[in-house]
Amino acid sequence: MSVREVLGEEPEVAMAEERYRVIGEILSKVFRGARPLTPSDLLDKAFLNRGLGIPIFLALWWALFRFTFDVSAPLSDLIDIIFSRLGEFASSLIGNEWWSAFVSDAICGGLGGVLVFIPPIFFLFLGLALLEDSGYLARAAFVVDKILRPFGLQGRSFIPLLLGFGCNIPGIMATRTIPSERDRILTICVNPLITCSARLPVYVLIAGAVLGAYAPMAVFTMYLLSIVLALLMALIFKALIPYFRRGRRAPFILELPDYARPTLRSALTHMYERGILFLKKAGTIIFLGIIVVWLLSSHPWGAPLDQSYIATLGRWLEPIFRPLGFDWRGAVALFFGFIAKEIVVGTFAVFFGLGEEAEIEEVQRSIVELGVFTPLTGFAFMAFTLLYIPCLATIGIIYRETNSVKWTLFTVIYGLILAYLIALLIVVIGGLMGLG
Amino acid sequence: MKEIEVALIGNPNVGKSLIFNNLTGGRAHVGNWPGKTVEKKEGRCIHKGVTMRIIDLPGVYSLTAASIDELIARSYIVEERPDVVVDIVDASNLERNLYLTLQLLELEANLVIALNKSDIAEGLGYEIDVKGLSELLGVPVVPTIATVKVGMEELKDAIVEASKRGVKAKVRYREDIEELIERIGDILKRDENLTKKYPARWLAIKIIEGDGEVMRLIEERGLIEELREVIG
Repeated sequence: MSVREVLGEEPEVAMAEERYRVIGEILSKVFRGARPLTPSDLLDKAFLNRGLGIPIFLALWWALFRFTFDVSAPLSDLIDIIFSRLGEFASSLIGNEWWSAFVSDAICGGLGGVLVFIPPIFFLFLGLALLEDSGYLARAAFVVDKILRPFGLQGRSFIPLLLGFGCNIPGIMATRTIPSERDRILTICVNPLITCSARLPVYVLIAGAVLGAYAPMAVFTMYLLSIVLALLMALIFKALIPYFRRGRRAPFILELPDYARPTLRSALTHMYERGILFLKKAGTIIFLGIIVVWLLSSHPWGAPLDQSYIATLGRWLEPIFRPLGFDWRGAVALFFGFIAKEIVVGTFAVFFGLGEEAEIEEVQRSIVELGVFTPLTGFAFMAFTLLYIPCLATIGIIYRETNSVKWTLFTVIYGLILAYLIALLIVVIGGLMGLG
Repeated sequence: MKEIEVALIGNPNVGKSLIFNNLTGGRAHVGNWPGKTVEKKEGRCIHKGVTMRIIDLPGVYSLTAASIDELIARSYIVEERPDVVVDIVDASNLERNLYLTLQLLELEANLVIALNKSDIAEGLGYEIDVKGLSELLGVPVVPTIATVKVGMEELKDAIVEASKRGVKAKVRYREDIEELIERIGDILKRDENLTKKYPARWLAIKIIEGDGEVMRLIEERGLIEELREVIG
């Protein structure tokens, strides 16, 4: 009799069951009493129910996103307006033309462009903190474990992926709770595919400009594509990369804490700790990135945009993106999007001489008038934006968390290849279908 | 004066830190486990002329090779072979806590069980036959309430007592599993150095489970071929 004959395909699980059988036998002799049903047990009967668990999970997830976007929208608008007014006010005070443009377009525009993302990100983290403190998030991980298993991920991968919808940085940092190194690296590798909140403005801008009534559908498709590709890539990596196949899967053991009323203090602390990571990144990299875009696009000083340094760079990049139907402007936007996706929208605004704080409708009008994108290439541009590395800071955090140049480069490079392939696929298939 | 080494282990949230403080009077030397970022706490307790060096192991649910905490706890028990291991068990959650206890018995650790939170178990209306539990497991069981320092003297007595005796754990698994353990154990015993260092029963169970660390060890020892027939 071999191990397999006695214990089946999963001897580790069979041994665990055997231990529990022995425990049950011991307890039947020395233990009397039934655990009284607590309110937590009753809630779990619903939340962990085979049939109800997933619908409840989806409903709460949807509620979280509505909460995030609906509550933060007016605040984002307010920040937008404040910085736009501030820019106008500052430039009216400064006599020198260069300094005036620098302060209003680059500094105020740059800061405003970054700070509008703070409300949605902070509210998403607040919502997650409330779900976490109430005890539900641990249940959610439990519920989705079954869904994620076939893809080589596990229940603990879920919270990092969920956080990725806010910002990939705290998402990747949250993988620390995954005990298995392999599962952890796999979760890190696919996390950048989760569409973070910084990519949403790009979708909104492009879809609104060229896709008309199909715009909301196109944005939703990006979210769907994000989830599908993250799972699919996990599956592919698991199948093709020997590292992820070696060894056994760690059993998923998770302590379910009792449900509790979340305290505002603790939720705010959580929100602050995760949000501040984004702020630090925003405060440095994105802000500097936008200033660089402004400097390159407005120099040589006084020259029209298509003779600026940035146009030269764009023409140099253009051949790479020509098969996808992006012109030099698209190429430059993607180039700076490598620093951070927040810069993409700002870059388009600068192109049309509208300043960083331009109203989105004006930018959209210019995109249509100048024929930068057709509906098809616009959609391909959105997909490209979704799939390549979210920002420099994400690369930094991947390196810090994997402590490996190899995995960091791998994640960056496969993202670029995937982005190019999917965008090309969209353009080619769309072309064959007579769209475009 | 005689000095013995005592390791404290238990699931998270069973009151392990409280028991550590009660035993050591709160005076602890805090450092890190060698090469790890996990905190290591060590204290001292003198009882009836015996000095106990008390080491606080990380709180764990099981002893697989899956997480750093579990690896630290288990390699400490395997490599250092402390004189006594105190397994702190939450009396209000016996089933889950005994899972770790069974794994400690597989390791042939010289166990003393502290049945903590006895007051909470009582409040829930649980009746636990402490003597029966001790007999079935083959190890001393001491009811404690760490929050109000009940049972601490009895626990110290049991530790000193256990340090004088050897291990005589009783728990056995299903007949066909025991046969497997024995067959694997017989093959392992060909390598005397290996079984002198590690309990053969524990190695056999880990081989059955396909534990990463132990499989690597077996490979290094060149025993993998001889085991092929059993493990398939």
